[in-house]
Amino acid sequence: MKQNNKKTTKPVWLKVTYDQKKVDRMNELLSGLSLNTVCAEANCPNLGECFGSGTASFMILGPNCTRSCRFCDVPHGHPKPVDLTEPLRVAQATKKLGLTHVVVTSVDRDDLPDLGSDQFVRTIQALHEVTPETTIEVLTPDFQGRTDCLDKIIAAKPDVFNHNMETVRSITPKVRHRATYSTSLGVLKYVKEHATSKTFVKTGIMLGLGEKDEEVYALMNDLRSINVDFLTIGQYVQPSEKHYKLREWVPLERYQKYYHEAKIRGFKFIASSPLVRSSYKAQEELMAVYEK
Amino acid sequence: MIKEVHMPKLSPKSNQYFFGEWLKEPGDKVSKGDVLFEVETDKVVSQVESQETGVLKEHQVKSGQTVVVGDLVATIEVSES
Repeated sequence: MKQNNKKTTKPVWLKVTYDQKKVDRMNELLSGLSLNTVCAEANCPNLGECFGSGTASFMILGPNCTRSCRFCDVPHGHPKPVDLTEPLRVAQATKKLGLTHVVVTSVDRDDLPDLGSDQFVRTIQALHEVTPETTIEVLTPDFQGRTDCLDKIIAAKPDVFNHNMETVRSITPKVRHRATYSTSLGVLKYVKEHATSKTFVKTGIMLGLGEKDEEVYALMNDLRSINVDFLTIGQYVQPSEKHYKLREWVPLERYQKYYHEAKIRGFKFIASSPLVRSSYKAQEELMAVYEK
Repeated sequence: MIKEVHMPKLSPKSNQYFFGEWLKEPGDKVSKGDVLFEVETDKVVSQVESQETGVLKEHQVKSGQTVVVGDLVATIEVSES
């Protein structure tokens, strides 16, 4: 039970507007098709805006994740059997919503022999078939670094391959579960080396976990040394008391500083502000690069 | 005609929130889309927009109160048309 008269400690930029009718309409459509979104499962602060404007990021193979990272609000639990009709439903929802760019992510599925990679492939294929004009972004787990899983996804030709580093090297073991900094970097490197130039490689990090400037720059250098194209930087918001303790509401100036530092290092696109999430306005990002 | 404003579900994971500030006072004109009040959930401060156009009649909750989805939070008088 929350205490009365609790003073808000959230910064002003964490204010978002909410149009109930539009959100309800989106929820109806999604539940009608039995689809999960990372927006709802991770309780995203941008949900009102994105659902209000008719966009969503689908989370396949869920809703339960086989890992329990300390920053994440997606439920950890016993995974459900793979639903082979899910890829088609994602494609149908994408078409119904008229999305010109779709983000498909998943929970971790360390329980499956293919670690969930085949369902990504099936979803990409379904999207290609049902809504061929829609650009596709996949936001994947690390697949334990297994290149056979990555090869299949590369072959399916997503427009953007996204895998989040989440944080700097020193904090990774404190917040991620069964995932390492070097494995994630290896995943990005492998995809960049093996995918065609039509697949952009993207990653994202959270701020406010206690990272230092030099560590963020070291991470940027690591990413650019393997030619990662896009970088997203946003504020960590602690989902509950049980989760990793928020160290800091990072001031806006630092987002701007990191933006410039990233720009200097040659990322093709950088989104850096508190409410940025890995799939937030992903379409604008891709469009900006296509226009160049 | 009096319309009731109920607390919307603002977080997929919780039904109980911390009521923040009122942005409209009783007697104020409100238009559809105006921000009526702010509510703090675990991850965010949500500004909730009015679904009606009319005059705000009454606040039914105060800043600092805990509210549950579905609670009556305000009444708005809308003109019959």
